[in-house]
Amino acid sequence: MKYESQRVAWYFFATCMLLFSLQIVYGFIMGFAHAGHDVLHEWIPFHTARATHTNLLVMWLLAGFMGAAYFIVPEEADRELYWPKLAYVQWAALVIVGVTAVIGFHFGWWEGRKFLEIPRPLDYLVVVDVLAFVINIGMTIWKGRRVTTTSSVLFFGLLMAAVLYLPGMIPTDNQTMDSYWRWWVVHLWVEGVWELIMGGILSYLLIKLTGMDREIVEKWLYVIVGLTFLSGILGTGHHYYFIGTPRYWLMIGGIFSALEPLAFLGMAMYAITIARRGGRQHPNRTALAWTVGCGVISFVGAGFLGFAHTIPQVNLYTHGTLVTAMHGHMAFWGAYAMLVLAIIAYATPALTGRRLHDRPAATFAFWTSNIGMIAMTLALAVAGVTQVVLERRVGMEFLDVQREIEMHFWGLIMAAALFTLGIGAYIWNFVQHGWPKGELEGGEGQPRQEIAKQPASDDAAAVPAE
Amino acid sequence: MLSKSAARAFFVGGTALCSLAFIGLTVDTIGRIPAQTHEENLTPAVIRGKNLWDESNCMGCHTLLGEGAYYAPELTRVYERRGPEFIAAMLRDPAAMYPGARRMEQYDFTDEEIADLVAFLAWVNEMDLNGFPAPPTLASAAAPSASSTSPVASGAGRPRVFEQMCVACHAIDGRGGSVGPALDGVADRVEPDFFERWLRDPAAVRPGTAMPRLPLSDAQLAELVAFLSQQHTEGAE
Ligand code: HEC
Ligand code: HEC
Ligand code: HEM
Ligand code: HEM
Ligand SMILES: [Fe+2]
Repeated sequence: MKYESQRVAWYFFATCMLLFSLQIVYGFIMGFAHAGHDVLHEWIPFHTARATHTNLLVMWLLAGFMGAAYFIVPEEADRELYWPKLAYVQWAALVIVGVTAVIGFHFGWWEGRKFLEIPRPLDYLVVVDVLAFVINIGMTIWKGRRVTTTSSVLFFGLLMAAVLYLPGMIPTDNQTMDSYWRWWVVHLWVEGVWELIMGGILSYLLIKLTGMDREIVEKWLYVIVGLTFLSGILGTGHHYYFIGTPRYWLMIGGIFSALEPLAFLGMAMYAITIARRGGRQHPNRTALAWTVGCGVISFVGAGFLGFAHTIPQVNLYTHGTLVTAMHGHMAFWGAYAMLVLAIIAYATPALTGRRLHDRPAATFAFWTSNIGMIAMTLALAVAGVTQVVLERRVGMEFLDVQREIEMHFWGLIMAAALFTLGIGAYIWNFVQHGWPKGELEGGEGQPRQEIAKQPASDDAAAVPAE
Repeated sequence: MLSKSAARAFFVGGTALCSLAFIGLTVDTIGRIPAQTHEENLTPAVIRGKNLWDESNCMGCHTLLGEGAYYAPELTRVYERRGPEFIAAMLRDPAAMYPGARRMEQYDFTDEEIADLVAFLAWVNEMDLNGFPAPPTLASAAAPSASSTSPVASGAGRPRVFEQMCVACHAIDGRGGSVGPALDGVADRVEPDFFERWLRDPAAVRPGTAMPRLPLSDAQLAELVAFLSQQHTEGAE
């Protein structure tokens, strides 16, 4: 850590830990409901649990992205945040809006639109809050001593994420138009601009963790995000097959979305190659594991499992079944949850000044949560494929099929328990690090790393390990 | 070797081109959606129904147009599948229609609100969805008693109201729900006058029964009684 104002990132990361834990609780509520034990129905009916589960997910990921930006951008721009106090205010506002939204869901204060359940008045507050964040980051870069590709890609991703929140607020009476705009948010986020954020954070982590030449890392960053937009923008069409939109989307959406895995493949190869070739052995191996894991699992969850149901002929039968939930879990986990956990694993020792990243709990967290998530995906895959065959192909009644697949939800619950154990260890490790009292660079007498391959252009030499 | 500026040009150029194409297609799509979704039938009742659909977060359990949650049945074609009376009964008291099954939310809708939601689902039912939901192609394989040579594997000759309301709970020819007993050969099991008494008020015949009293017109009732009376086991016909 080089700058005082980077400290605010810790508050965002702590918020992530809290919201993530709550998200998991609501996941279990739904898992038990699917397994035939909807015991909390009177207090937390399924639709409340679902809105809470998914919105907490989006909130903690956004909080993680913001924390990451507050941590990364000062270092990249070589200056303090432009308005350090605003960052704290913006954090507090985010927490207040988030908590209000989640409490509101329990009293039916929502818009019944998947992933965009936050009611309209709070939407405006979200926009104001995100604007404050983006402007602060933007000013820091603008007034900084240098503008790096990593920070501009990150900034562009964050800015576009904010802009793309707006189409979700276009009023319409037609359910098809409603859906049409909803995908501008949901799809263009996860398969578009969030990938820029992902690329930016990954490239920062790879430069810091491996000492690889910045020019090379950033060149490939452009290629990957180029592939993302080339396939992802028109790939939105894979949500326009069957919602009352013209037939040509079957062709356009099918072709372009089938290319989307390329971007994720690029991301995975990028992480693996750089991690192997990088000249420097950074002591924080856990952060590197999460970084490379993010590249790999995002390819499996988003690229491979997304491809599995993106062809129109397949999607005709899998559309709106548990197959989608299977893909949704692993894609969000691999691409964005692991990304946030990677930057937290990297930043926490620097922010707190305590280097506990090599504790057994940290390694345990990585493996257990990933094995747990793979098992969850398998359980949902079996349930999903069975549902597709029995309900969509054979024509059995919905509820009869659900009874057939109930037992797979016990499998899901067991896998989720393993996953939760891993996340518990992660959070424990985070808590042990304590408050963000780390000293600024050099203060701790941490040995400066020798760089094997001295990159001509980069700051890698100037910046010590953390 | 690819240079960084060439990589940047690839990114900026590709993004600009695709964004333009996407915006162009969006303009075209917005022009075509009214015809494909029959926007001319978007009456005030349908719009009120859509708003109720949103406020009640039905999508938090159901899918509509294949979007939503995977806890409760797909509702895109529910109007055709179950008919307006069944849907209305469902919204009034879900537990009565599916006793002992997964719990739907018990709303306190007024009759007008129920009519609005039914109007909304009727409007969605008419949309041209490029073939979704697809007919179950393996259906005849699973129900061998339904002759695969008949033009419509299931439903041939059955009253429409039976296909909509009764199959939710009863199976026949191997297809349908499992809340009540299968109705194949039911005419062999009961007295001829049972059907009319039963359908008018099940609880009066067997107190405490799980079969609800369904909203049936006299014409529908007569049609059903005639149909059920013919349900003898094969061979006896
Ligand atoms: C808490 C979850 C939940 C919510 C919210 C919910 N439903 Fe349901 N709904 C169900 C379940 C589960 C079923 C399946 C039947 C059963 O088990 O009761 C169902 C069945 C139905 C059916 C009958 C479908 C069929 O194929 O027989 C209709 C129609 C329906 N719901 C309409 C609605 C509407 C309209 C709303 C919103 C106003 C709504 N539901 C909200 C859970 C829910
Ligand atoms: C909500 C679920 C439900 C619906 C809808 C429903 N039933 Fe039933 N039905 C049942 C149940 C449960 C039983 C068993 C009742 C008992 O024995 O107490 C039953 C029993 C019957 C029986 C007696 C069968 C026997 O072997 O004794 C007949 C006949 C019947 N239903 C006809 C119909 C018809 C016709 C319709 C459509 C208008 C219909 N049911 C709709 C649940 C339903
Ligand atoms: C990190 C990236 C990704 C994430 C987080 C993600 C997540 C999700 C989620 C949550 C849904 C359900 C959305 C809803 O119904 O509202 C979904 C649907 C879908 N995704 Fe992805 N996805 C990603 C990448 C991809 C990719 C690369 C592909 C294709 C190759 C893909 C193909 C699909 C398809 C076809 C659907 C629609 C499923 C249906 O018809 O029900 N996804 N995705
Ligand atoms: C650990 C325990 C978890 C359990 C038991 C669980 C269970 C569930 C269940 C049952 C659903 C609802 C499916 C339906 O609509 O019927 C769901 C939805 C969802 N969950 Fe989880 N979940 C867990 C953790 C997670 C995690 C860690 C993530 C993200 C990284 C996640 C992301 C999602 C998403 C994106 C959806 C919406 C999927 C879709 O609409 O297609 N969940 N979850
Ligand atoms: Fe998508």
